[in-house]
Amino acid sequence: MTNASVLEMNLAGGHLSAPAATQEARETILSVSGLWKVFGASEKEFNQANGTQLSDEEFAAHGWTAAVKDATFDVKQGEIFVIMGLSGSGKSTLIRSLTRLNTPTAGLLEIDGQDITHATPDKLLELRRKSLGMVFQNFALLPNRTVESNISFPLEIQGISKEDYSARAQELVDLVGLRGREDHYPAELSGGQQQRVGIARSLATNPKIWVLDEPFSALDPLIRNDLQDEVLRLQATLHKTVIFITHDLDEAMKIADRIAIMENGRIVQIGRPEELISAPADDYVKRFVSKVPLAKVTRVKHIMSSASTQDLPGPSVSANDTIAEIGPLIIDAGTDIPVTEDGKIVGVLAKERAIRVLAGARD
Amino acid sequence: MIKAMRFAMHTPWLVFVLLVLVLFAISSNSVSLFGTNLRSIPEFMILPLSDWAGNALNWFAREASIGSLTVQTITRNFAELVNWPITALNMLLADGIVTGAGFNKHQLMPPLSWLGLSSALVLYSYFLGGRRLAWLSAIGTAYLVFFGLWQHAMTTLASVIMCVIVAAGLGLFIGIASYRAEKVEIASRVVMNVMQTVPIFSYLVPTLLLFGYGPSAALLATVLYALPPMVHATVLALKSVPTEIREYGEIAGSTKRQLLWKVELPAALPMLTVGLNQVVMMSLNMVIIASMIGAGGLGYDVLRALRRLDIGGGLEAGMGIVVLAVILDRITQAAARRQSAGLNHEVRSPRPWLYLLIIFGATGASFLLPALQFWPEKMMLSTAPFWNESISFINQHFFDQMEALRNFSLLHIMNPFRDFLVELPFVLVLLTLGGIAYVLSGIRLAAIVMGMTAFIAVSGFWEAAMISVYLTACSVVIAVLIGFPFGVYIASSPRLLKPASLLLDTLQTLPTFIYLLPAVMLFRNGDFSALIAIACYAIAPAIRYTIHGLRSVPESRIEAAIMAGCTPTQVFRHVKIPSAYPTLLLGLNQTIMMALSMLVIAALVGTRDLGQEVYIALTRAETGNGIIAGLGIAAIALISDSLLKAWAAKKQHQLGVKP
Amino acid sequence: MKKLIASIVSSAVILSVSQGAQAFTPESKQPIKLMVADWTSMLINTEIMNIILSTYGYNVEKVIADDSARYPGFEYGDLHIALETWQTTQEAALASSIKTGKVLDLGETGMHAKEDWWYPLYMKERCPGLPEWKALQDCAAAFATADTAPKGRYLSAPVSWGGNDEERVAALDLPFEVVHAGTDAGLTAELKAAYERKAPIILWVYEPNWVSKAFEGEFVKFPANTPECTSDASWGPNKDATYDCGKPEGWIKKMGWAEGETIWPCAYDMVRNFKMDNATISDLVYQVDVEGKEVEDVAMQWARDNEKTWRSWASCAAN
Repeated sequence: MTNASVLEMNLAGGHLSAPAATQEARETILSVSGLWKVFGASEKEFNQANGTQLSDEEFAAHGWTAAVKDATFDVKQGEIFVIMGLSGSGKSTLIRSLTRLNTPTAGLLEIDGQDITHATPDKLLELRRKSLGMVFQNFALLPNRTVESNISFPLEIQGISKEDYSARAQELVDLVGLRGREDHYPAELSGGQQQRVGIARSLATNPKIWVLDEPFSALDPLIRNDLQDEVLRLQATLHKTVIFITHDLDEAMKIADRIAIMENGRIVQIGRPEELISAPADDYVKRFVSKVPLAKVTRVKHIMSSASTQDLPGPSVSANDTIAEIGPLIIDAGTDIPVTEDGKIVGVLAKERAIRVLAGARD
Repeated sequence: MIKAMRFAMHTPWLVFVLLVLVLFAISSNSVSLFGTNLRSIPEFMILPLSDWAGNALNWFAREASIGSLTVQTITRNFAELVNWPITALNMLLADGIVTGAGFNKHQLMPPLSWLGLSSALVLYSYFLGGRRLAWLSAIGTAYLVFFGLWQHAMTTLASVIMCVIVAAGLGLFIGIASYRAEKVEIASRVVMNVMQTVPIFSYLVPTLLLFGYGPSAALLATVLYALPPMVHATVLALKSVPTEIREYGEIAGSTKRQLLWKVELPAALPMLTVGLNQVVMMSLNMVIIASMIGAGGLGYDVLRALRRLDIGGGLEAGMGIVVLAVILDRITQAAARRQSAGLNHEVRSPRPWLYLLIIFGATGASFLLPALQFWPEKMMLSTAPFWNESISFINQHFFDQMEALRNFSLLHIMNPFRDFLVELPFVLVLLTLGGIAYVLSGIRLAAIVMGMTAFIAVSGFWEAAMISVYLTACSVVIAVLIGFPFGVYIASSPRLLKPASLLLDTLQTLPTFIYLLPAVMLFRNGDFSALIAIACYAIAPAIRYTIHGLRSVPESRIEAAIMAGCTPTQVFRHVKIPSAYPTLLLGLNQTIMMALSMLVIAALVGTRDLGQEVYIALTRAETGNGIIAGLGIAAIALISDSLLKAWAAKKQHQLGVKP
Repeated sequence: MKKLIASIVSSAVILSVSQGAQAFTPESKQPIKLMVADWTSMLINTEIMNIILSTYGYNVEKVIADDSARYPGFEYGDLHIALETWQTTQEAALASSIKTGKVLDLGETGMHAKEDWWYPLYMKERCPGLPEWKALQDCAAAFATADTAPKGRYLSAPVSWGGNDEERVAALDLPFEVVHAGTDAGLTAELKAAYERKAPIILWVYEPNWVSKAFEGEFVKFPANTPECTSDASWGPNKDATYDCGKPEGWIKKMGWAEGETIWPCAYDMVRNFKMDNATISDLVYQVDVEGKEVEDVAMQWARDNEKTWRSWASCAAN
């Protein structure tokens, strides 16, 4: 893709994300298999020590620290993949391996079918310039540049003409709602505004993969909520492949298509939010999700069945609504509630099933 | 008893054992080792280091060549190259364009008018630091103009500007290299540490050999002196760039060069500006010494005034240097503050054309009104006679009291202490220092300290080194005795902070030469005058660190003490002093460093220490002696520095505080 | 500042006078490097030579160098001309430098150098018998301070000047302690302070200098310095020691870089012809050091008053 076509790609338009059923069919963008990151050890040393078989104590005996252990997962086109874990669980290290900010000790990392684990510096540069955008926890804005200049920075360093990158920066300023503050410096903005700049900046090159590293942890709860909605809104129009890191389960539940839970360097479970609640893989996950009301994470689309008829009576619900959101409506509805998307009926929600979810029954 | 035990636990017992040993050795003459008397250094141990260093440097400067080019050709051409911008700046700021000389001298173009330059400066100060800074600049430049110092101040400014540009550029370069490769960092840190402590007089002669006499040699010597803080600041600034910002730069797809120039350096700018500020101050410190080898300017005015015993005139010219220093310091500080406090889109620098208009407008007007070019001599002010009269007055009416003070100090304190140190057997000094280093830090520090002590011994400058230690120790004691209470007083009255900082800046930038002569008039040539001059200079860090240490004691700790029912004295004794202890130790360290750096200047009142050896070597162009004696001073400085820092680190560790 | 005003004014005034010189074209545009050192007569003489050479169109640079440190500079062509080389301190060094073949003796200036122990006249009352040196043996106490008592305190020049005062004190059995000042200014500062209080002092003074004009005093009369005194122990009052005599006195010479003779023969001619006498230079030095005038102004004034004299030195440029 040429630089010009990056800019020409249109931002607006698009559809709501497709139902879960069709996700499986989409192509894999990012594939990780058997990935290890062990600090202190080189690839050779790790292999010689037969590192994949070592225990924590044995790592410590070598003077090594295994931050990511045997991570394996795929991320599909258009999916929001959340990596969740407490601090020290290795999620930050994992994301830095995926973006090659560090070099994995072992394992395979593919983006678009290309091996990235052993990419040359040139190829890495190309990948970062074209396919990756990243948002940072503490914003990481360049303090000496204005809002506009921060946003256009990734384009500027690619040698794109000033005219083109200014135009693109203007679009993005509008996109994140910072019109009127283009010439402000980061120090003059609130935290929420700064992260909006961070978001706009990460989208400047129209990357295929959008990485957000605990983007809202440093913000107040209310602003955090606004920005979560903002990310969902943007994703609804842009259809990026999103990798989102957080330590906040509510946040993960709110925005994830799928969640990977990490504990002590290992991914202990990968699944859709309601799957984690309904079928936690182990005690750790169970303790984690025990306080989350099922209704808040279960969406209509997860428990609906396909529609047999087009003329069901009563008010309809949207496939993407959570059960908690439509609670009052369920009480008054008939046994079968029509599920619509774009004005068409796409399925049926059984009232009894919905009430079970509302009541928190975990099957 | 319990107290005594605690004391013994806190203070390395080994020190006392060794001290006892020392006293023992002094009292008995029979101690011997390998058949030699421990008292003096055996002849065979003294190596002709000076000859080696001298020969090596002479060879390097005269014979060495790279390919067909001799080193000297390269350095001379380099000096020639550096001379160009210096000359150009001088023309612009101080001299104007002049052709011919002697009876054929014509001025084609005047230099930039003082009115234009100072107005532009005041405008810029206002933009950077508001009304206060603007007033400071206005008063400062007015002083330079009305006291007839403007032209020479501009010559000085020209060389300071050049020096700052070169030192900042070179410092940035070395700093970046150090930041990128750890090996380079270690090497550069060692070299910089030595460079900062070797007196500048030591490398004047090699500089002259390589770069010839003249302004470029002065420039390069100054650059060498001002370089270390820039390197240090660059490494620190780059290291303190948040990891996320660096990662962002990589993710955005920066090449290595883009990462450095577009991401890391701009993000490091606030701290880099602090380094720049240091470079400016160090260059101004060197102004006088640079003028001894051809830089001219205010430094030369000071020297000349003092030569004719015009102490007032010297003071005025010296205050000119202080004025330059204070203005440049406050402006660079304001710039640094602006960077680190965050930029504001509403505050934009006035357009460049506005400055140019002011400067060239006034310069154009100076064709019509010569007073705009140079302030007429008849309308100049001077306070010099007042100062000269004052010194004479003191001399005639209070000499006896001062002479009594001098005699008492010399006969009952200084001379006995000097004799004690000079008589100390070197083996015991070596072991004591090694022992202290071992207790404070470990075997590595002990080896380093003993290595440096041994270096002094084999260099043949042992006695001169001990006299240096004696002079330094006496001056530091005086500086601390006066500086500490003063600092405590200032720290307790915030209203005095600003005036005190101005006073301290003055003490540190006013060329020491200025108080050498009054000291000589009132206290004669010799150690006592040297002591006063050194103490005057070294007192500034003693005060500064005391204030800093006491003011940075956490408020919560003081409040807790007050709530626990402490009287103010108890708060001071039990909370403030222990908390500030590491900072106070570092202040003591800095005071010692300053005192050591003054030894060479103090040689000008006739001391017999390493500083004098360096000074003699300078005037006789004995390269080798100068360097080895200079390294001797550096060795003393590094020994005391590493011991005190180890002590401070230990204290810090115990108290869990940071300085 | 004053310097420039002076030179602008003077260049306007003198423009017509200098027409004659315009006819002469120097042999080379290469800059002639005049050595400047840190005492005033040297500064003035050098500035006078600067005015002369510049007037004839030579490109002149002044280079600051130390008295004793000058020789490598001359041998390697970093320095070209020095107006003052004192027999009292530089005789041996000059001779050995000339032996290298790279340095030329450009003749005496006509000034006479003298340096020795010196005291203010009021000390004569307290030590009768002065200026004879033997008087010092008996009244050393009159010159004593607390830290030297009962010996007298003699303030010698900076260590780097040499001077052999320690040897002199021993050889002549003078009950004095030699204390070294750090600088020239340190010497005179102490003299001034003592003079103001009419306090005892005896110190090293050199001439030509402004000191003997500003303060009333005289040199101690030691046995005359001869080559034998410093080489032959049996010579002089002490049969077993050298340096039993005063300090040397003698010529002040000009010196130059040998190769320069072929580059600027006419300029070297002018330097050879340069003459100055003690009375004149002392007066000029006094104007600078005591009256506080600028060296440039004083030299220019001299050049204006003595134009005939210095133009006669430049006979090679006259045709």
